[in-house]
Amino acid sequence: MKKTFKALFGVIALISLAAGCSKSGKEAGEANIIRIGSVGPLTSDLAYIGENMKAAVELASDEINSAGGIKGKKIEIIYEDGKCDPKEAANAANKLINIDKVTAIIGGLCSSETLAMAPLAEKSKVILLSAGSTNPGITNAGDYIFRNVPSDSFQGVYAAKYVRTKLNKQRVALLKCLSDWCLGVNDSFKAEFVRLGGEIVGEEAFPQDSRDLRGQLVKIKAANPELVYFVSYTEGTIVGLRQMRELGVKAPVFGADAWSDPKIWESVKGDGDGAMYLEPANKAYPEGFVDALSKKTGGKEINVYAPRAYDALKILASVMETAGTDTVLIKKGIYGVADYKGIADNYTFDANGDIKNADYSVREVRGGKAAGAK
Amino acid sequence: MEILSQLILNGVMAGALYALMALGFNLIYGVTRFFNLAHGVLAAIGGYAFFTLSKMLGLNIYLSVATGVAIAGLAGYGFDRLVYSKLRKRKASNLVLLVASLGVFTTAQAALSIIFTSQFQTLSETAGQEALSVLGGVVTRTQVIIIFSSLASMLGLAALLNGTSFGKAVRAISDDEEVARMVGINTGRVTGYVFFIGSALAGLAGILVGFDTGIQPTMGMGLLLKGVIASIIGGVGNIYGGVLGAFLLGLVENLGIWMIPGEWKDAVSFLLLIVFLVFRPQGIIKR
Repeated sequence: MKKTFKALFGVIALISLAAGCSKSGKEAGEANIIRIGSVGPLTSDLAYIGENMKAAVELASDEINSAGGIKGKKIEIIYEDGKCDPKEAANAANKLINIDKVTAIIGGLCSSETLAMAPLAEKSKVILLSAGSTNPGITNAGDYIFRNVPSDSFQGVYAAKYVRTKLNKQRVALLKCLSDWCLGVNDSFKAEFVRLGGEIVGEEAFPQDSRDLRGQLVKIKAANPELVYFVSYTEGTIVGLRQMRELGVKAPVFGADAWSDPKIWESVKGDGDGAMYLEPANKAYPEGFVDALSKKTGGKEINVYAPRAYDALKILASVMETAGTDTVLIKKGIYGVADYKGIADNYTFDANGDIKNADYSVREVRGGKAAGAK
Repeated sequence: MEILSQLILNGVMAGALYALMALGFNLIYGVTRFFNLAHGVLAAIGGYAFFTLSKMLGLNIYLSVATGVAIAGLAGYGFDRLVYSKLRKRKASNLVLLVASLGVFTTAQAALSIIFTSQFQTLSETAGQEALSVLGGVVTRTQVIIIFSSLASMLGLAALLNGTSFGKAVRAISDDEEVARMVGINTGRVTGYVFFIGSALAGLAGILVGFDTGIQPTMGMGLLLKGVIASIIGGVGNIYGGVLGAFLLGLVENLGIWMIPGEWKDAVSFLLLIVFLVFRPQGIIKR
């Protein structure tokens, strides 16, 4: 009994010590530091893109701090791993909001991350600005929720029009992962494609972490489509494309913007040739940006979202330059952003916190690399 | 017709992989009588050992497979020496061992993530494997290797258990550990060897999965669950039953999605498990 009591006492003492330390540490720097969270997949699905975006946020914050910070205050970015998973992202957001007391969160990348964090951010009046989540549901996720990447309600429609009119395909099969993002893109494509007189000859889904799509592909092959619209993240795409080749699915594939991950085309080698996909059309990057970011990523290819993540932090900083750290004022400020010239795009926010302009470019894979489609 | 034969072929291929997992799992269960959940992570260890040797160090592919399998075996042996044998000496209950093995699983998986990152890696070099036509469907060369490795492991294990004095000792311990010890069998050492063999089989499964699809640190749980389901429906602790259970599971889950959407494949496997637990809890072959 005595021993238990001692142990218990020891544990309590340790916990209070730890809590005390972290608290005093926080308060010391409070006056001249602005904390901002960053959430995205650093491990698991889409980690390749997540790490690229993290480097871009780092670059933006270095630039802001070396230019004197925001109203003389330095910004400190706290990175959390959302793992492309709603539960992990919610944990990360809770930690950032309640323990680190962040003013804003840049993220997530996966729509499931952002949708899970949105109610937490909204309740605590913390700004959430995503540079990569495109699910249509985020449009109405809350007043404090913004994104500087176009919603999938644009992407699915654009893809459907392209497949139906430009590629002139009539019979299409759908293959999608089971996540907020996959389902969002898939549904908007399906609705528009059917509206344009196309026919959906098969529709199969698979769990996001499944690595065996053979059963689904056998059925798709039997449906004999003219094209497969395949919405999936990096890992599912790699195994899916390989297994299509193995099973002799000859129909061309068309994908969505997560395919801008170069890892896919490096991994599947020749199996990806002929695949097409959409990605948000970025402007040509200014000189120096690519070099500076490559230095951070160790020379990895820059994907389409990293420059948008960079822009996200810069937009936030420019608004905070006048609004300070009062999130009510920041929120108002972001709704007022009009024609902000970022490096990826020119941004104007609408009343839902979405950006007004949505332009895409069609990419085609040749020889293991994606390039603009003819 | 083509769709049916392809689904059957897919089922047989999946079954061959599950069989490898079930073989090792049942072998270890037979001797120790506890559900070794860490069995799953050994597949990942095997896969990553191969990945390091072959892709990062550029070793010959056959040598890498053999070493990778041996490393998985040694890891399993190490887990037994470091954790399970100590607990057994303290007469810990099987529930304690089960929880400990879950701890081993989680720790080892986290270690793999730290060392190799959580990214998905494909092991096979070739793009667009040429598929062979079999019975109206297609299989890849990797899948042919999988099925032969699986059958060879099963026959080899059967020969080992039935034809050697080591096999006799294993069977004796499976029957009754106390008595086996009384007649002079060094049960601790035999159990250690069993862990080595069982874990090496899991490591082989991991490498083959890596060739077939790819590896990532979290691959172990899915394989473990399928291996355990195969063991239970085959008759837990019975290595032949486990193999039968594995092929039954592979066929049922692949044929099951013929008429229902493919996303329910895992649900089909667990449904099969429940059916067996309710109507034939002893499994296909009673131990």
